[in-house]
Amino acid sequence: MTTAAARPPSALRIAARRYLPATLIFLGGIALWELIVIVFDIQGFLLPKPSRIASTFVEEFSVVVPAGWFTMKEAVGGFVIGAVAGVLIALTTARWTVVKDGLMPFAIAVNATPIIALAPIMNNWFGITNPMAKMAIVAVIVFFPVMINMVRGLTEIDTRQLELMRSYASTPRELLLKVRVPNALPYLFSALKVGTSLSVIAAIVSEYFGGSRDALGIYISQQAALFHFAEAWAAILVASFSGIIFYLIVTLIERAVMPWHSSIRNVAGT
Amino acid sequence: MSTAVAIEGVAKIFNEGSSDQVDALQGIDLHIEPGEFLSLIGPSGCGKSTLLRLIGDLLEPSGGKVTVADKPAHQARLDREYGMVFQQATLYEWRSVAKNVQLPLEVMGRSKTEREDRADAMLDLVGLSEFKSHYPWQLSGGMQQRVAIARALSFEPSILLMDEPFGALDEMTRERMQAEVLDIWSQTGTTIVFVTHSIPEAVFISTRVVVMSPRPGRIADVIDIDLPQPRDEDTRESDRFYEKLTEVREALRGVEGQ
Repeated sequence: MTTAAARPPSALRIAARRYLPATLIFLGGIALWELIVIVFDIQGFLLPKPSRIASTFVEEFSVVVPAGWFTMKEAVGGFVIGAVAGVLIALTTARWTVVKDGLMPFAIAVNATPIIALAPIMNNWFGITNPMAKMAIVAVIVFFPVMINMVRGLTEIDTRQLELMRSYASTPRELLLKVRVPNALPYLFSALKVGTSLSVIAAIVSEYFGGSRDALGIYISQQAALFHFAEAWAAILVASFSGIIFYLIVTLIERAVMPWHSSIRNVAGT
Repeated sequence: MSTAVAIEGVAKIFNEGSSDQVDALQGIDLHIEPGEFLSLIGPSGCGKSTLLRLIGDLLEPSGGKVTVADKPAHQARLDREYGMVFQQATLYEWRSVAKNVQLPLEVMGRSKTEREDRADAMLDLVGLSEFKSHYPWQLSGGMQQRVAIARALSFEPSILLMDEPFGALDEMTRERMQAEVLDIWSQTGTTIVFVTHSIPEAVFISTRVVVMSPRPGRIADVIDIDLPQPRDEDTRESDRFYEKLTEVREALRGVEGQ
């Protein structure tokens, strides 16, 4: 005998329960923002109403979206270069520990410095309108966390896991492929996820120092200089969405690559 | 093969020559016959885990000689004579149960069909056939430890080294696992060296118990456990079991009192 109460909740209901609070807070926040601007009569050049930003976004769609695309190409291009370089260097440190001991102190030191400060210099090196100037900054900013985390993942391994492989008389190559690399994946992906937002920030901020007129950072800084704040906010909206989409793509790849990991199983299991 | 393991005059000193030097083992002589089930027992710091690691060539002795299957321990490791089981199951969390059991065979370059057949047979032996596609986190502690045992046996090593394998399990599971390992031992004939700090466990499971004393680690006593085989729940309640329990307990008390 089955009763309605005993039936497991439907997928729709589970999804609603999980996403409803966040959706409500988001909508409530937008409404509150709109209300505050109206009630306190805040000037549009200080803080535009969300409804005004939305309508500007629609009007400026054909400008801000291509600008966003232009900047995201710099961000993603630099991200890929930095991430690939970071993984490769980390792999060489796993092979030659001398490289690790020599490199890690500097990597950690450089990672703690504001690399974005190099943006004007990169503009001089590559030319101010060359996207490579921005990609170089992004690549350097993404490189260090990826490399540092990957090195940790390759080396911070349970002693017993190493003893087991030793008892199987495994070669260093098999140890790398079957234990070190899988062990490093969670470390790598946490660096990559941080890297997605770092790369969008780095691309836009380095554009503030000058760049192509097609770029989002240039658009934001020019509109703001002209007191066109709704336009600037519409472009910031594009930057936020792009960053979120980038993050979600990396998260999807993470789930596909390591479905076994605890960070994912908790989501999948409930 | 005359002896499974021959340990002659073995010593192990950690951090030799520095201020934090530790004399872990001193003057160890021990011969283990093929097919024996030998337990190492003693208070913490007596070097029982160190001795196990010396047999398995995970550590090198500071002095003396370890011979396994009539060859130096190092060669025996390269010839894959050892299966290892630790207190923690130490499963690779990115591998399914079956893939964990297959790992040593992969490292040894066995064919895919052989790997799968062996893994199936081993999981059958430990009663986990239905769970072969599961991931380690989906299993209880006892089940994880069974997978670790299946993995250690997958390549038919001549000797199984177990370092407090049931130390992290609850008492009920622990007793069931002891019976299972005895069962596997009688089916496979594998020599087993078993580190434990539980007196009833050592007496129930072993054919011989080596009692060790600490600082530096030494063999204090060797007690034959001539309880009849196969052993079962009745064994635990027999008078002979209590006698052996007392014998080991008194040997250990002598060690602690030093």
